[in-house]
Amino acid sequence: MSALLNLILWTPVLGLIAILFMPKGKDQLVRYAAVASTGVTLIFSIFLYLSFDQSVAEMQGVFSVPWVEMFHINYSLGVDGISLPMILLTSLLFCICIFSSWTVEKNVKGYFALLLMLQSSVYGVFMSLDFFLFYVYWEVMLLPMFFLIAIWGGENREYAAVKFFLYTFFGSIIMLVGIIALYYKTGMGPDSFNIIAHHGGHFVNETITLFGHDFSFERVFFWAMFLGFAIKVPVFPFHTWLPHAHVQAPTAISVILAGVLLKMGTYGFLRIAFPIFPAASVEYSTVIAVLGLISILYGAFCAMAQSDVKKLVAYSSVSHMGFVMLGLAAMTTQGMNGAVLQMFNHGTSTAMMFLLIGILYERSHHRWIVRPDGTKGYGGIASHMKTYTVIFTIGMFASLGLPGLSGFWSEALIFLGIFGKFPTITVFAVLGLLIGAAYLLWMYKRMFFGEVNESIKGYSDMNMREILYMLPLCTAVIVFGIYPSPVLNIMKASVGNLVELMGKF
Amino acid sequence: MLVNLLSNVSFYLPEIIVIVTMCVLLCFECFYSDDERGRSLSYIIGLIGIFTAFMAVVMNLGTEAKNLFAGAVVIDQFTNIMKMMMLLGTAGCFYLSAQSKEIHERLKAEFLIMSLGVLVGGMLLVSANNLLTVYLGVETLSILSYVMTTMKKDDAHSSEAGIKYALYGGVTAGVMLFGMSHLYGILGSIHFLPMVEAMSDLSATSTVATGISFLLFFVGVGYKIACFPFHMWSPDVYEGSAVPVTAFFSIIPKLAGIAIVTRITMIFFNSGTSLAQAWLALIQIVAALTMFVGNLSALNQESVKRMLAFSSIGHVGMILMGVLVLSNEGQTAILYYSLIYMLMTLSAFYITGVVVNKYGSDERIFFRGLMKNNPILGGCFVIVLFSLAGLPPFGGFIAKYNMISVAVGKGLITLSIIAAINSVISLYYYMKLVRIITLEDSDGKVVFESFNLSGAVYVLAVTAPLILLGIFWNGIYSAYSI
Repeated sequence: MSALLNLILWTPVLGLIAILFMPKGKDQLVRYAAVASTGVTLIFSIFLYLSFDQSVAEMQGVFSVPWVEMFHINYSLGVDGISLPMILLTSLLFCICIFSSWTVEKNVKGYFALLLMLQSSVYGVFMSLDFFLFYVYWEVMLLPMFFLIAIWGGENREYAAVKFFLYTFFGSIIMLVGIIALYYKTGMGPDSFNIIAHHGGHFVNETITLFGHDFSFERVFFWAMFLGFAIKVPVFPFHTWLPHAHVQAPTAISVILAGVLLKMGTYGFLRIAFPIFPAASVEYSTVIAVLGLISILYGAFCAMAQSDVKKLVAYSSVSHMGFVMLGLAAMTTQGMNGAVLQMFNHGTSTAMMFLLIGILYERSHHRWIVRPDGTKGYGGIASHMKTYTVIFTIGMFASLGLPGLSGFWSEALIFLGIFGKFPTITVFAVLGLLIGAAYLLWMYKRMFFGEVNESIKGYSDMNMREILYMLPLCTAVIVFGIYPSPVLNIMKASVGNLVELMGKF
Repeated sequence: MLVNLLSNVSFYLPEIIVIVTMCVLLCFECFYSDDERGRSLSYIIGLIGIFTAFMAVVMNLGTEAKNLFAGAVVIDQFTNIMKMMMLLGTAGCFYLSAQSKEIHERLKAEFLIMSLGVLVGGMLLVSANNLLTVYLGVETLSILSYVMTTMKKDDAHSSEAGIKYALYGGVTAGVMLFGMSHLYGILGSIHFLPMVEAMSDLSATSTVATGISFLLFFVGVGYKIACFPFHMWSPDVYEGSAVPVTAFFSIIPKLAGIAIVTRITMIFFNSGTSLAQAWLALIQIVAALTMFVGNLSALNQESVKRMLAFSSIGHVGMILMGVLVLSNEGQTAILYYSLIYMLMTLSAFYITGVVVNKYGSDERIFFRGLMKNNPILGGCFVIVLFSLAGLPPFGGFIAKYNMISVAVGKGLITLSIIAAINSVISLYYYMKLVRIITLEDSDGKVVFESFNLSGAVYVLAVTAPLILLGIFWNGIYSAYSI
């Protein structure tokens, strides 16, 4: 199993090297190489799923070799019920993104090479069991992301890329100080960089002296970690980079950003902030819940006000990630399971939305629901693009949380989990669902129904390639909407372990 | 006595070799016919000298700490590694000067001679163990530097920079000497170790006087490393000098200055007395302000050289953090940072030099489309800039990580967070340049004539280690451990 982890982590790098050595002008070959690489990775991920023991809560397939002996930094990988859904999601979305990027014509070689580099570093984040390794992957991810947005993005791409880079870098470097502090607090021993060894609240009674006063070590560094992860999620008020990055990024990158990268933030809470600082997490769970609630409502209202459909979906991500934060803050079995499930489901449904918007954009070259001069950008798509409308409807209802589609389960579980603890917050959070339905349906009405806009008459419906890569996501959204157990079973043991730990504080 | 002196000489071989090379070059320059062959020969002589001196330092590696010449000079692991890096840095600058069009062909041998002279001063300063040696080192370093600044003979900026540098240097050296004379008066010795002993029982008045004298002393070295508030000269001098000279200035004098600040702090202020606390507080404030001033000033520079000058001020602030740690781990972090800093500087200035050779200016706009026009130069510069910003998987990250790590270990959390925030600020202006290099287009295809095969080998040789030292740093870091 540890071999599989290494294979998943390094296959994209092999693909990247292969692409770099390909001669100039062989764009088609580059595309096939990228498909092969992500396809093989996806197959490995499926094998990983098959060999995964769902009854075990601890890390599986742990692989560890020394990297920097003198500081006890190890190259150590492992997978558990929380990271496995994320790894599967990553494999699936990258594979789909390669297909959806078929139409990229600008510097094809560079584009796919960076995409594969991004893929490898995302796996690295989800697999690392060593703090140093985790941090390296967390940061390395920024480089391809920056170039992917800044070179292949929209008109205002450079501003968006720099903003994204600076925000995330700021959060992560504060996190780095926290990692170093942990290293010293644990006595610089063989386990000082071992994430798992820190789990269990060893730092509750520790203190740290700042400005001549003693502070609780646990609280101070919980907030340091919180900052790093909250910017990534993004939680209000750290969300301002997200709409820019999303709107400017090319379609595939928006998909990756919303589908995978945002989950790295909440994954950080689950893997690092909560289990390492459980007392502070429980103590501040109200703050997390309130921030989550603000994200839900604020994101939803912002989405409603958008006239750019991509920006609308971007803000809906803020809102949906707020639900994840709410589920995490509950610290109950239902809430936590709901949160991890929501991470997975939001990954599939939002990926659908961004892909669909990308498909439409390739035809219309604009994204206005309502143009700045007040005229409609689209209208009556339903009567012209039949397949497109069907798939869009599925995606939209999934992200709206309609029963029978995947989004419903995770949101229901989150509400179940949170109600006992924060009833007031739950009441307001449910309002978020309502607003969510409102902005999505309103957008749907303006784009798909009504008078047929002259400009859309020339658009062709989805072609075979587009249908093919939408199909897995549609299936996932529907199947897990009817029967979410396969995903829940993966995470059950590990999440249960975490909930049990949090219950002690 | 004489035998003792002679046995000392063997440990002092590196410096002697450099001095001899300098003299040989001086004589050679008087006689060689002013042609291509003569110039190549002088470069070969210079490089042989550096190489032999390097080997001589390598022979000294691993020996125990030694006091030479009646305690005037000390040789230990820290000084040896510093000297090796300074020698390598000088050799790198030799190549830069050979390629530069800013320095007139006739003056190239002069560059070699003077840089070797500065190097000797720097090596002296690194191993200084009494006040006199410190002063001698600082002055040898400075006086030749003033001349090097004015190497662009027909450029008004260059002369202006030289005058500024000389005036500023003269004043600070005077202030430093003033402080030193007080120290001698109060403590009764110019040797560090007796001074430390004398410091252990001082009256309250003498303690204050000693503190003030050390402050005056700090002015001199602070000016050499260009830390706040003695950094004003640095951007002007950097901008006015030729690129190889700028590269040289940002390596040798800085490393030497850092080494002496480290040594003085380790020897005098490792005791926890009120004087020591005051000194550490001073360095702490200076480090924080140096970082902020350097990085904030760099934000809006159009000239790449000026930007690099300000960014190097920021890096000095980072390195000063290591000084505060007062331990061997701190020294190791300083050495590693210096190594990475040196490589990044050599690479960045080489690439700037190529652009300056082409356009005669280092404005940012001339870097547009560098990635497309010349992937080697562009790619290397992007790596260097990311490394300067401290992003993994590059060496700059490991250097910064270790620096922040030892600081956190010492309990300097506030300063570490300031360093972290400064990394973010610095990322902004480095990214600006990355953006220009990779995303903007030049007007038509640009060919850099002065960039040839040897240039490619050189730039890869100083940039590739940045990646290697960012991933496989176990070996070198253990070798650097003191």
